[in-house]
Amino acid sequence: MSDQQLQGKVIEALKTVKDPDLHKDIVSLGFVKNMKVEKGSVSFDVELTTPACPVKEQLKTECETKVRAIDGVSSVSVNMTAVVRSTEHSQPILTGVKNIIAVASGKGGVGKSTVAANLAIALKLSGAKVGLMDADVYGPSIPQMLGIPISPPKGGPDNKFFPHEKYGMKVVSAAFLTKQGQPLMLRGPMLGGIIQQFLQNVEWGELDYLVIDLPPGTGDVQLTLTQRAPLSGAVVVTTPQEVSLIDADKGVKMFQQVKVPLLGVVENMSYFVCDGCGKKHYIFKSGGGKALADRFSIPFLGEVPLIGEVVEGGDSGVPVLIGHPESPASLAYKSLAGQVAAQLSINQAKEDKPETSFELAWKS
Amino acid sequence: MTVTAKTDSSQPSPKKVRQIDETTLGITWTDGHESVYSVKMLREKCPCANCIDEWTGEKRIKPGMIPDSIRPKNIKSVGLYAIQFYWSDGHDTGLYPHELLRKLCECEECKKARAASGKN
Repeated sequence: MSDQQLQGKVIEALKTVKDPDLHKDIVSLGFVKNMKVEKGSVSFDVELTTPACPVKEQLKTECETKVRAIDGVSSVSVNMTAVVRSTEHSQPILTGVKNIIAVASGKGGVGKSTVAANLAIALKLSGAKVGLMDADVYGPSIPQMLGIPISPPKGGPDNKFFPHEKYGMKVVSAAFLTKQGQPLMLRGPMLGGIIQQFLQNVEWGELDYLVIDLPPGTGDVQLTLTQRAPLSGAVVVTTPQEVSLIDADKGVKMFQQVKVPLLGVVENMSYFVCDGCGKKHYIFKSGGGKALADRFSIPFLGEVPLIGEVVEGGDSGVPVLIGHPESPASLAYKSLAGQVAAQLSINQAKEDKPETSFELAWKS
Repeated sequence: MTVTAKTDSSQPSPKKVRQIDETTLGITWTDGHESVYSVKMLREKCPCANCIDEWTGEKRIKPGMIPDSIRPKNIKSVGLYAIQFYWSDGHDTGLYPHELLRKLCECEECKKARAASGKN
């Protein structure tokens, strides 16, 4: 068989490999690139929509197995790559940012910032370019969690300023705008101004994902962001007990009202694993996050356990994913990042998208 | 995965917003519906806190207050859920959520449906 005939067979075989999230085969999706067939030796790239793809290894194995099974193939080399697709928008801000993920909660104290920081790190560790915006103006905690000393951001031309960098991520926080330990006392309209600055004046550069850590609740900051920023989706964080769920419920409804796609619900502090007996203790009850997700028919993105390593990581500035990459919490965050990235890819693959951003000048 | 991320799918969004003639705005929705609006009616139905009292819900725009010569100057999307009109009388504080715009639709079908349900 000629190499050309063999290439045809390889493509036929790859047409049977389906992306489980996008429900199409990888050839029709245009993922297969740079195919070379030389004397029975086959090599090609599979370009996924996110490096955080949860089924990357599974797809790779399936490609290798199916191609190797073809008569005349002597060797197979599959190279997995990723180019993050961008959520379409034509707003003149954040133009280099492909996806904007808001992390929100109804209630405070559910670990939203911890989830936001670790979600950002997990996406970064998968190989993506990531930014983290700490929009919790009254209680900014991201600098502490990432171990970034409070210092004013470096200014650039045209009123622009540069984000801080840590763990390979770009970070802005309201904390950098004040002196260490000083409270930021502001009325509503000023809050909007700060958020507007974060959106317009920060030199983010090219990013695959920008994670925004929102303040708790459904107030000024949330409204400004949903009106001004082209959000790709929102993740709602809750703890399992009813007091937290009633507020998370409102958070979900807020995003529904302003039509921001809900990527799903994360349940934080789901259980504590006793170091003596190894048993999971569901301190704040169990199943609340899943029930909330089911009620709105949105994805449940998993349970993050309550363990000392997470707290210690947050306080020391070395997040659990960096300090204890194999901890159950780290694994939960990696799975969360994979699912969030997959949901964004699914949304972008949808047809019949609304016109998300437009301006119409009336002619008379 | 069985569930996927979504906005409320019962809520259509504008797919194309266009000027039909001097006084008529058209919106094609993601569910295929074709809406038409007289711009004067849209100005009269402005939902902002200046035009509808925030506490009492009282309408401050009385019939006849808006001149026939009213036109939008510019129309912009707001976030993913609303449209903002910049009117020729200088008014620009009204954000019209998609849901409201669907309710205000003046196509024959919607007008008949409203007449049948006894509203307007």
